[in-house]
Amino acid sequence: MPKLTIDGHEVEVAAGTNLIEAARAAGVAIPYFCYHPYLAVVGQCRICMVEVAGQPRLALGCATPAADGMVVKVEDSERAREAREAVMEFLLANHPLDCPVCDQAGECLLQDHSMSEQGSKFTTHMAETRRTFPGYERRLIGPHVVQNQNRCIHCSRCIRFTREISETAALTYKSRGNSTFIDTFDGSSFDDPMSGCATDVCPVGALTLRETRFRKRAWKLRSTPSVCPGCSIGCNIFIDHHERVVYRFTPRENPAINATWLCDHGRFLAESLNEQAYLTPQHQGPGHPVPAAWGEALAAVGALLRGAASLRVVASANMSNEELFLARELFGRQLKGEIAVPVAAGEPRRMKNGRGEWLLAKDAHPNAAGARRLGLDTVDGEGLSRFLYGGAGLTLILDPEAHPFLASPEALRLLRVGTTVVWARRSHPVADGATWLLPTPSIASNEGTFTSSTGAVQRFAEAFAAPGTVHRTATGGMSPDCPTIASPWGAPGEARPLWLVLSALARELGTKTLDLASPAEVFTLMARSEKGFAGLVWEALGGLAPQQSFRERQHVG
Amino acid sequence: MSTRPIEAAPPRTVQTVTFDATMDARIAELRQRYPTSRAALLPVLWLCQERYGWISPGVIRAVAERLGESPAFVEGVVTFYTMYQTAPPARYVLQVCTTLSCAWTGARELVAHLKERLGIGFGETTPDGTFQLVGVQCLGACGRAPVIQINDDYYEDLDVARLDAILDELSGRR
Repeated sequence: MPKLTIDGHEVEVAAGTNLIEAARAAGVAIPYFCYHPYLAVVGQCRICMVEVAGQPRLALGCATPAADGMVVKVEDSERAREAREAVMEFLLANHPLDCPVCDQAGECLLQDHSMSEQGSKFTTHMAETRRTFPGYERRLIGPHVVQNQNRCIHCSRCIRFTREISETAALTYKSRGNSTFIDTFDGSSFDDPMSGCATDVCPVGALTLRETRFRKRAWKLRSTPSVCPGCSIGCNIFIDHHERVVYRFTPRENPAINATWLCDHGRFLAESLNEQAYLTPQHQGPGHPVPAAWGEALAAVGALLRGAASLRVVASANMSNEELFLARELFGRQLKGEIAVPVAAGEPRRMKNGRGEWLLAKDAHPNAAGARRLGLDTVDGEGLSRFLYGGAGLTLILDPEAHPFLASPEALRLLRVGTTVVWARRSHPVADGATWLLPTPSIASNEGTFTSSTGAVQRFAEAFAAPGTVHRTATGGMSPDCPTIASPWGAPGEARPLWLVLSALARELGTKTLDLASPAEVFTLMARSEKGFAGLVWEALGGLAPQQSFRERQHVG
Repeated sequence: MSTRPIEAAPPRTVQTVTFDATMDARIAELRQRYPTSRAALLPVLWLCQERYGWISPGVIRAVAERLGESPAFVEGVVTFYTMYQTAPPARYVLQVCTTLSCAWTGARELVAHLKERLGIGFGETTPDGTFQLVGVQCLGACGRAPVIQINDDYYEDLDVARLDAILDELSGRR
């Protein structure tokens, strides 16, 4: 392992590490625009030039591997600093000064580096007007991507992404020299299944997302580490949100699963997290639903459970491991009910990990692997129809979106026979006809773990409390901004995460062992009793340790 | 001297391109000269330009498919090099050298005369599609300057009178 000195900091790195990554490890920031850890190194932008003792010419931080005994100067080198200033002058000669109206502002590498060079005597020798690309300033080049060619700094990250990662090779440089611009073939639509990643890798505002641009300034967004609910691959994401509104998903780095990528299908589920059709527990009154307080609802559902002649539970592969475990323990083991977890195959989806291997989605849900690991019966649509057939007893539907079959007229006909309790967030026919309806929030207001199709148990954190919920921190404590409310049920008539309701029902039914205060406690119990989760520790689960988003990681220093 | 006119395929006919047996054989021959199919891209494009007169999007698609590249990649290459024609050219493309030796020996007068006689500027084509005027840098024939390249032929040691005679001959043979 080579040991080297960067601006006076000694650092040891793995063989083959380039100077940018070595400097990052040493806490020194080498600026870069075209370098990306998961794309080929091309050395195009020239901003990462550093001085290496004993070498007559400046070296490129991206293309120079760290070597033992190397002495590297970044900030400490006058020559390297001057070279970087010259590169900035070239890049800014044609880059528009439109940061105030540019949606990339706040997460723009060019802007950030520009700001970090404020103390320099940087100036411009440019006497001509800026080069522009008339007609290419706000061009929709695909279903999701908007191009502003004037802002492009020709780093080729987007081109390399389509060639090396998504493998569509749909983007290219056209023309040459000063006229070079980014385009698709013959103006065709940029309908790459991972087209959103082209906007992620774009260091400036040349490629932005149609869905999210101009909706919220980047610096207003808070990023909460989470896991994409779109399929069973389990891509790591940040939920970017502000004032309890989800604005976007951005990929969170995980070399084993999604590197720094996210498919468009998953990415654009973000908006759907804001849908909340049901806000109050309710039961069927004479001809219309009647709202109820949570206390009343829990007591009533508890009574239904105690008095049920037979119990069937439709769980869901969208539920967390903790929720599936609670449901299995309470409804299966304790109340001797039957549990089925419907799993739909869904569209074929794939993701490329950091080693360049494609991972294929096995199921359309984020936690089908977790359901199987907990030994629950997974069924397809036909199996679900058989499961629901002919039961006059009590049926619990923990998630109507568990399977498309539940929205079919046949399912509604089967369910009409007995009593149903349904947990739901979005408007659904099964929920509307339920004996009792209990509102659940989205994944943004829940926390827990999903098991990916590769077997990784991954935590997702709560971005913000469900509407009306007292905020509980990851450790189960109350957040300081509302310390006066003592109970999570203090504000009645709001959505509550399923795990919380299941543990409250356990309390209602006198099952003390399952009356737990947080998903962390549920997980700990599960790790003790379940072979598939043995040895796992909540606090140590991948990805949730304090870490920066990839966008932030690029701005170290 | 008989310069062969360019027979540019009308855009309609090269919207989608299927290579015939002759083209297939020539592409295969070019392909086996190189270690990778990507390396054969430039000569294959030359072959297509020779065959169709220009490189249409349909030709790009066909070449991309044949060489296992994306159409975007091939179009990037085509637009990088100025000698690949991305629009149907005129029957005669006049490439007038405007570099030093030719400029000294009368190229400026030739250019002025061409612009006046043909009524077009650099980069333009006469309305009848006969002549296209292009200003180029050194054609490497300074010894017999001034020089104009017409399609694949060099016309050297030119003056206005000789140039007029050449244009008369070429336009008369339409």
